[in-house]
Amino acid sequence: MSDPVLRVEEVGLSFGAVAALSQVSFEVGTGELFALIGPNGAGKTTLFNLLSCIYAPTAGTISYLGRDMADYRPHHLAGLGIARTFQNLALFPALSVLENVLVGRTHLMRSGAIRAGLSLPSARREEKANRQAAFEALEFAGLSDVAHRPVATLPYGLRKRVELARVVTMEPKLLLLDEPVAGMSRTERSEITALVRAVHERFAPTVVLVEHDMSVVMSLAERILVLDFGRTIAIGPPQEIQANPEVIRAYLGEPDPEEVEA
Amino acid sequence: MSSFPRSALAGLGRHPARLSTVLVVIIGILLPFWVDAYWLSTLVFVLVAALGALGLDVLTGRTGQISLGHAFFLMVGAYTGGYLGVNLHESALFWIPAAGIVAGLLGAVAATTAMRLRGLYLGIVTIGLVYIGQWVATNWTTVSGGSGGRTLAVPGNGTFSFANGLHLGSLSITENGLYYYTAFVLLALGMMYVHNLGHSRVGRNMAAVRDRELAAAVLGVNVARTKTTAFIVSSIMAGVAGAMYGSFLSFVTPGQFDLLLSIQYVIIVVVGGLGALWGPLLGAFFVVGLPALLQNEAASLPFLEGGTRTTGIPVTDATDLLYGVLLIVFLLVEPRGIVGLAHRIGSLVRRRRATPKELGVVPSLTQEG
Amino acid sequence: MKTFALQLFSGLSIGAVYALIALGFTVIFRASRIINFAQGELLALGALLTSSLISAHGLPFWLAFLIGAALTAAAGFAFQTLVLRFAVGKPDFTIVMLTLGLATVLAAALDAGFGAYPRSNGDPWGSSVVHVFGLALLWVQVWTIVTAVVLLVAFRLFNKHTKYGLAMRSTAADTEAAVAVGIPLRRVHGSAWVLAGLVACVGGVFLGGFPNTVSPSISDVTFFAFPAIILGGIDSTTGAVVGGFIIGVVQQLTAGYQPTYAAFLGQDFYIAAPYIVMIIVLLVRPYGLFGSRPAERL
Repeated sequence: MSDPVLRVEEVGLSFGAVAALSQVSFEVGTGELFALIGPNGAGKTTLFNLLSCIYAPTAGTISYLGRDMADYRPHHLAGLGIARTFQNLALFPALSVLENVLVGRTHLMRSGAIRAGLSLPSARREEKANRQAAFEALEFAGLSDVAHRPVATLPYGLRKRVELARVVTMEPKLLLLDEPVAGMSRTERSEITALVRAVHERFAPTVVLVEHDMSVVMSLAERILVLDFGRTIAIGPPQEIQANPEVIRAYLGEPDPEEVEA
Repeated sequence: MSSFPRSALAGLGRHPARLSTVLVVIIGILLPFWVDAYWLSTLVFVLVAALGALGLDVLTGRTGQISLGHAFFLMVGAYTGGYLGVNLHESALFWIPAAGIVAGLLGAVAATTAMRLRGLYLGIVTIGLVYIGQWVATNWTTVSGGSGGRTLAVPGNGTFSFANGLHLGSLSITENGLYYYTAFVLLALGMMYVHNLGHSRVGRNMAAVRDRELAAAVLGVNVARTKTTAFIVSSIMAGVAGAMYGSFLSFVTPGQFDLLLSIQYVIIVVVGGLGALWGPLLGAFFVVGLPALLQNEAASLPFLEGGTRTTGIPVTDATDLLYGVLLIVFLLVEPRGIVGLAHRIGSLVRRRRATPKELGVVPSLTQEG
Repeated sequence: MKTFALQLFSGLSIGAVYALIALGFTVIFRASRIINFAQGELLALGALLTSSLISAHGLPFWLAFLIGAALTAAAGFAFQTLVLRFAVGKPDFTIVMLTLGLATVLAAALDAGFGAYPRSNGDPWGSSVVHVFGLALLWVQVWTIVTAVVLLVAFRLFNKHTKYGLAMRSTAADTEAAVAVGIPLRRVHGSAWVLAGLVACVGGVFLGGFPNTVSPSISDVTFFAFPAIILGGIDSTTGAVVGGFIIGVVQQLTAGYQPTYAAFLGQDFYIAAPYIVMIIVLLVRPYGLFGSRPAERL
């Protein structure tokens, strides 16, 4: 693959004697929608946390746009163009929906305590422009009606959408989605799946998706990596993965034929 | 540049100046003419404490950094103001802001501890600030006058001095009144600033750091800078408040700036309402004003020691007891403090006022069933 | 040399008290992950109760001590059951503030109830000394160290070998898992506060021994125990004890030698010294000598 956005080479992570991940390798090309799947405890979240620089791998390297990510910490991500959602939702309860999304734009803004506190014209202009951008992201996610509501008053499904709006407004090159449909009803799942597809089509970021729900993964992903016990057991396009006996053996919830398809 | 007043007002005008704020300001301006010297002086203490508490609220209420070191920054402000005003004969227009700036610089240094430490560890290190500060103050006698204490200057310039009051034609403002208006203006400026901050990028970052620090970092919030900003803003306000406090008292000793003072400020922000703009002022009224009220009425309250009665509970103990109980009650029942309570009452009132039809209780005659 | 040995011994004695105070903090912290800011007031309560049982009611020291300890333990238990229990699930900041509220209430109640004047702790040793290796050691300090060591050993045995001890350690490690396994959380929390109260009373009574006195302000001493727990690591009982002894010795030696050998550090340095030591340690090891980094959930 020429100039992959993400290159993971022989990556391993051990906590003491326990190897959460070992010898995982894959590449993700520009604009690709790549999925990580596997049974519970397979190491998907661990790998995700490695990609978010929360841990450093104990073996192997992860490179983003050619640079070794071991040099980076979580607070570098936004500036590098990497945005992620959180499985357990990282929304800030004291803030409104719009303000939560605006937090994502903080690395694109420069007003500090002096300019903002004194309400100088430059700060007000910047605030206005960024509010507009955040609002557009909300509109894209179908949340413009609830923009000013405290985010804690929203139902779970809408809150997941706020997280999506937030990563959209961060204008990322690499989008990391952590179980975007976890805990959702069937309708919510298809809505979110459609939204993720829309994001991918409209803004063309590279997407790495961790997900349990097989039908969602099958309908969205261009290539899939299957993990089990911290190791790769298969990697390839959806049709290959579906037919792979190893994968079927490790885990396969048959996608419900009644599920809404792409 | 005259853009600050205009833009500050515009900042306030983004959320159209509500009638209540204007009313409060008007009452605030007229108060000194309605109360006696005792109450006026109490109000000065209330406003100065509110300014200090406003700073602590930015640090603790809005940014979630536990600090029991506020007394240290108040002390730095008081001694800076004192030294510059008395020893170096500087004008109050200089030593008041200078007190803030010096405290702010030390706040930036203290912020470095918050980078590596969280929660309880941070809280205990801030306790250390108080003890170390008191030790420095006891020994750096040129600035502090040692454990015996030092005097602070009364603002003034040549023949004009706060001590003489101000006479404009038939209008007469006492010394207490002048202190009151100074504190009033400083608090108003502080509150406008914090209001603007709260609705800005910085305010959102502070809330993010307070609520989910690691996620905030992943989203691009510069956590270190946010915490440092919070410490600096907080200690600047504490410094100014400390200088005003010292000047009004005209004399300070290291022993005054102890851990109990820090705790008193924490109680003010919690009881007032963490993260709420009016919280610090309401909390200050309560925590600083109430003992003054009880002291005044001690003779008529049978269980208090006061007036001619030597038996009964000393007023300070009674108020401390009350605070402790209130703190506990508020924390369990209304964690958003007095402001939260006011909101609750407000929404209750609004709901009562709505007609039954609006609430959908009485079905409309045009509907079925 | 003799002076040094005496200073050291004094340091160990005060260190023993700090170790007990630190133990009180750690027990509650391990059970519920909160710092009990009222620990100092519990100490004062125990000391004042014991002292007044002796002077006002003429009880023998041991009996007064036992009753005082029981009452202080009951006070701790009462606070946990009547107040803290309703704060389960609230953020740590709120719960810490609740203990601060208790501290404020207790401080005011003790001041109003007992009066702010110094009194004797009523121990039977007074200023008597025992001669060991040519040194005149205060009996009360000997007993302080002995009692503290016995209590610490007893606690260690309790922790390791009884069901309750195991329950407490499990709760400290993972509250959710502990509940899932059926550990009675309320009882664990309750016992933690009972232990904290007992240990506070013991610390308070011994702290009030010669040449000190007992008064409501005796609670201030806990603020010197804070560096001890931080130094040792907030969640380690070994750390608390080690930290306590270190701080006690450092403080005593500083008070004894600093005015002569490091006069430039000025007056009252022994008050700042424990915190300066603590800050230096934290710069190198942000979780103390024995403490561990808390897990952060994303």
